[in-house]
Amino acid sequence: MSTPLTARIVEEHANASRALPPAGPTAARRRTALAALTASGLPTSRDENWKYANLRPLERLRFVPAAPAQPVAATDLPAAIPGFARYVFVDGAFAPALSAALNATATAVTPLCAAGDAAGTSAAPAHTPGADADERFALLNEAFATDGAAIRVAAHPEEPVRLELVFVASADAHSGASYPRLELRLESQAQLLLIERHVSAGPGASFVNSAVTVDVGAGATLHHYRLQELAVRAIVFDTLCAAVGRDACYRLHGINIGAQSARSTLAVRLTGERADLRLAVVALGEHQQVQDTYARVEHAAPRAHTEQVFRGISAGRARVAFNGKIVVGSEAHGTDSRQSLRGLLAGPEAEIDVRPQLEIYTDEVRCSHGATAGKLDENMLFYLLSRGLEPEVAQRLLKWAFLEDVVAKIGVAELRRQIEERLALQVPEPFARAESA
Amino acid sequence: MAASRTPLLAIDDLHVSVEGKKILNGLTLQVRAGEVHAIMGPNGSGKSTLAHVLAGRPGYEITAGTVSYEGRDLLALAPEERARQGVFLGFQYPVEIPGVNNVYLLKAAVNAVRQQRGLPEVDAFEFLGLVREKMKRMHIEDSFLSRGVNEGFSGGEKKRNEVLQMLVLEPRLAILDETDSGLDIDALKVVAAGVNSQRSPERACLLVTHYQRLLEYVVPDIVHVLVRGRIARSGDRTLALELERRGYDWVTGEAA
Repeated sequence: MSTPLTARIVEEHANASRALPPAGPTAARRRTALAALTASGLPTSRDENWKYANLRPLERLRFVPAAPAQPVAATDLPAAIPGFARYVFVDGAFAPALSAALNATATAVTPLCAAGDAAGTSAAPAHTPGADADERFALLNEAFATDGAAIRVAAHPEEPVRLELVFVASADAHSGASYPRLELRLESQAQLLLIERHVSAGPGASFVNSAVTVDVGAGATLHHYRLQELAVRAIVFDTLCAAVGRDACYRLHGINIGAQSARSTLAVRLTGERADLRLAVVALGEHQQVQDTYARVEHAAPRAHTEQVFRGISAGRARVAFNGKIVVGSEAHGTDSRQSLRGLLAGPEAEIDVRPQLEIYTDEVRCSHGATAGKLDENMLFYLLSRGLEPEVAQRLLKWAFLEDVVAKIGVAELRRQIEERLALQVPEPFARAESA
Repeated sequence: MAASRTPLLAIDDLHVSVEGKKILNGLTLQVRAGEVHAIMGPNGSGKSTLAHVLAGRPGYEITAGTVSYEGRDLLALAPEERARQGVFLGFQYPVEIPGVNNVYLLKAAVNAVRQQRGLPEVDAFEFLGLVREKMKRMHIEDSFLSRGVNEGFSGGEKKRNEVLQMLVLEPRLAILDETDSGLDIDALKVVAAGVNSQRSPERACLLVTHYQRLLEYVVPDIVHVLVRGRIARSGDRTLALELERRGYDWVTGEAA
């Protein structure tokens, strides 16, 4: 399916590839991805799961990897999280000077450009991205990404490993795209706390296309905090593909606040018996922002558990959408899944789209879902006013209460503090930070 | 009871409609500081409407009449201003607000009143001690402190929480809207003891109730019977007993 868009992508790819070494598995992988992308094309708004995304900018975006526009200093980055090793990538390329490497032998963090032919480090992920039509942006990343992080965590029974990856977008979209890339594998029984944040250096109207693959081995535990806090003019497409093995536990927290237009595709397969997933997303939109998330969870093994939570607030003329799909395969008997999707309209011109979907191909499952979209509850509001709270304060309090479900579960105290501070820019806190009563 | 000459609350010829339907039809009532008034009446007589109008709930159209509180026009005040001036509504159906902590709300409410009076915010530690003491009086468990407002509370717990809030806020005028409904006898006694502990020459209370059962434990100074949006009859506590014996038909028939 060749379209003017894919033809242009192929041309830009040919130009970009001339600057790269021709051989090696990475080059082969890039060619395969490009071929797959050419065959399938990028999604359009006619695709069912893309109708809320803002795809119009694709026509004018450039796909070649951008050269960093300006030197990024440590002061451009968010405050470090105590106890976490930090790896920084600027426009997709590893920036060792800004990083504070991990001092643990059981964990290998390798920049992909350095991985080269080294055995094992860039092994194909268990879940091949692009297999599903909704993961086509991951192919785009695969075709163009020149660097990224390959992380392999071995069993580390005493303490979980703590890593923070900071992907900085500095280049303007005119000069090309930023391709953050992460290939993560937790071996059996491994434990990892991972913070993945996407930020901007400067006001840049960057084009970011990130791709993350996650493989959580049997009995492993991954707490994954993903923060999208790009500058207000950025455009971002994000694809995460994860596989969760037997007795493994995956806690995925997404906080989507930044960018002009953001689309996040989360595809999680529960491949092992009793795999346990909690996928929680907070999205805030204001002005003319678009925050679109599509989360597909597939139960492919018996007795696995999913809790999918979404809390979105849309203000101004923003559009905030969450399409949460849970597929229970024929072999997934004993599945227990819960969905709680809630959207809050904080303005007369704001838009909220909340869509729960459930596909069940077996009996003997427990699946519940709840989805609401609406304004602040008038009864709650009056209750607070009747106790003497100012209307403005009461509204803020209810908005924070709305997000509380998700924010309170962010287990890293300093990270939670930073997230609350950032959320407060868009949803002002009811009072000055209260002592915990 | 010592009663001052100017009423704390004076309702004069109040007419209120909801979506074009007349609910209150010329209600007149005076409550002096130190008094407890019971407002009784059959379902649909306008009891809850009166309670909500006094607290300032939106959605009610006041077509005629006046309400003065401490000599000022109560109806001109926003709901939160009324609360800060010492008017408290105990809800018939208290809402659950997950994510807003009980103590957080209590403290915010107390500080709102204090700000109004030009006082500094309460000391967090002392405040918690005070709340714990009043919780004990209302037979409320410690876990309450960490829970969301009314979150997962039983009907009885919600009512006790309303009275707890009243005890902490110490309002000048408490309006309790069917706080007794749905309570078993033990809970009723706890709630009644809470209400009685608030009685003082400076304060007044309007007890809206359908049954006279609560009035065995909180003895009112005056009982009013509301029928079709106006007071059909007033009397002392024996009126409540007579109503219990003869049923509401007795007054509704008379008022017709």
